[in-house]
Amino acid sequence: MIKNILLAGAALGAIAAPAMAQDALTLQLKWVTQAQFAGYYVALEKGFYEAENLDVTILPGGPDVAPPQALAGGAADIMTDWVPSALAVREGGLPVVNIAQPFASSGLMLTCWKDAGFTGPQDFKGHTIGVWFGGNEYPFLNWMSAEGISVDGGEDGVTILRQGFNVDPLLQRQADCISTMTYNEYGQVLEAGVSPDELTNFVFEDLGVATLEDGLWVLEDRLSDEAFVDSLVRFVRASMEGWKYAEANPEEAAAIVLEFDETGAQTEAHQVFMMSEIAKLTAGSNGALDPAAFDRTVEMLMQPGSDPVITAVPEGAWTHVITDAALN
Amino acid sequence: MMLTLLALVIWLGAWALNHRLSRLNAPWVATVAPIIFGVTLLLMWELLVRGLNVSGVILPPPSAIWVSFMRNLPTLWQDLVQTVFKGALSGYVIGVIAAFVVALLADRFAFLRRGLLPVGGFLSALPIVGTAPIFVMWFGFGWQSKAAVVVAMVFFPLLVNIVAGLRDTTVQQRDLMTTYAAGYWQVLLKLRLPAAMPFIFNGLKISTTLALIGAIVAEFFGSPTQGLGFRIDASRGRLALDVVWSAIVMSAIAGSLFYGLVALVERAVTFWHPSQRK
Repeated sequence: MIKNILLAGAALGAIAAPAMAQDALTLQLKWVTQAQFAGYYVALEKGFYEAENLDVTILPGGPDVAPPQALAGGAADIMTDWVPSALAVREGGLPVVNIAQPFASSGLMLTCWKDAGFTGPQDFKGHTIGVWFGGNEYPFLNWMSAEGISVDGGEDGVTILRQGFNVDPLLQRQADCISTMTYNEYGQVLEAGVSPDELTNFVFEDLGVATLEDGLWVLEDRLSDEAFVDSLVRFVRASMEGWKYAEANPEEAAAIVLEFDETGAQTEAHQVFMMSEIAKLTAGSNGALDPAAFDRTVEMLMQPGSDPVITAVPEGAWTHVITDAALN
Repeated sequence: MMLTLLALVIWLGAWALNHRLSRLNAPWVATVAPIIFGVTLLLMWELLVRGLNVSGVILPPPSAIWVSFMRNLPTLWQDLVQTVFKGALSGYVIGVIAAFVVALLADRFAFLRRGLLPVGGFLSALPIVGTAPIFVMWFGFGWQSKAAVVVAMVFFPLLVNIVAGLRDTTVQQRDLMTTYAAGYWQVLLKLRLPAAMPFIFNGLKISTTLALIGAIVAEFFGSPTQGLGFRIDASRGRLALDVVWSAIVMSAIAGSLFYGLVALVERAVTFWHPSQRK
């Protein structure tokens, strides 16, 4: 008996010993475990993090998780977040800095019933449109303010319906348009039996009103810690390796994501679809933030309108230090 | 550090003061002691948050919440109208009427009592996070779906209390009414309903807070861009914790007033009951 315990202890020690030497990092995702974050799960599963001597923990998000809060509270070292909400948080007093931007383009759309007859945003007046809140409302609100359309309802404005996390408001015609992501909700609408011919999509990216999504962010003051910066460099390198692998092998990446989905809520078909769509968004990025795209996002957010997201151009809200070291 | 120490000093001082006061037999102590306690709590919160440099996105100090509350008052008022007056109160009224009708039927017909009460219990066991999205699907994004959630939440506590209240008369009392040749309605109105009032008000009071919780939580699952639940959820996402707390303060005030109002009516209606005698 005692011998067994000793043996078990020795075995545990043997496993734990290399892990002790690794640098622990915790990543807080913006949303639930799904292929939107495939790169990180692939890097974990394929041992890319381990090869960089990192012990990475991935925390799934969800409707009740605000990633910046996890950073502020010390529950996570790195978060994924959309640039608009991260900049709003930064101006609100939590200095977060973008260290990498694996997503080159935005997947946000408005999906509308074709028979509503919308040809452009001016046609939205007098109609109801579903929008996500909790930081995801900024791109739409800015677009409307750029178009000079009120969001307070009535004949000359749009009525906003605070959309939950499903596509029911569109299917039940509670709204003529809802917010969708190319890789997620749009697929759900199609899965519900709606044919693409019945829909009109307004793609934020094509309309020139897109904002950057899903960047990697850390707290500014921690960037003065050299050991932390060093582990971030290795993290970004391994993560990008994961992303490129996921892009090239969508089905395997989807299977890995499914393995990590503890809720069991995701289906294989949907994850494969999501991964193939996600690959289009990450394809143009090597991980380094494109300053021009960042400036465009800031410009969008500062549109003169009823309620700008940020009031001043953020200084030092991104850095190339990590990606320069990671990618060269 | 100084602020943290100051907080401890204030805490000890206020504790000692309240201890001394509680030994006095003056009538005003009952009012003053809780005020001192509350003020101490707020002061310690303020000083500790500042002294320990707690980030505002984890816990803002009360002064910041107060500033934000005053600045956002017009918005919060609109939220209050949407959530409390449209969602919670309408659901409360519908729930009370429904519970009364069903309770009277259940009281009259024993088979209903045996059949309906378990169903009511089942209804009350449904988790609100499960029913709210369904009601949003059925009744839309406006206040109607919130009212429906509230009805589901307040119905059972009211039903149980009213049914129990209606049975709270003794056989002798009812026999006496019968010897007076009183019919069902006379016995109900003159004897059984008045006797049931303490029970009914118990249910009504429990339901005030349930109604508010139901209306707020239901807004998490889809709402127009107004309402306390919407404000809490939307502001949390962009880490405007001072706004979240302001909305919480607003709901707390509304909930206390609602409860207090019902308690006042109770005192007027059941003045004869031992619990209300001075």
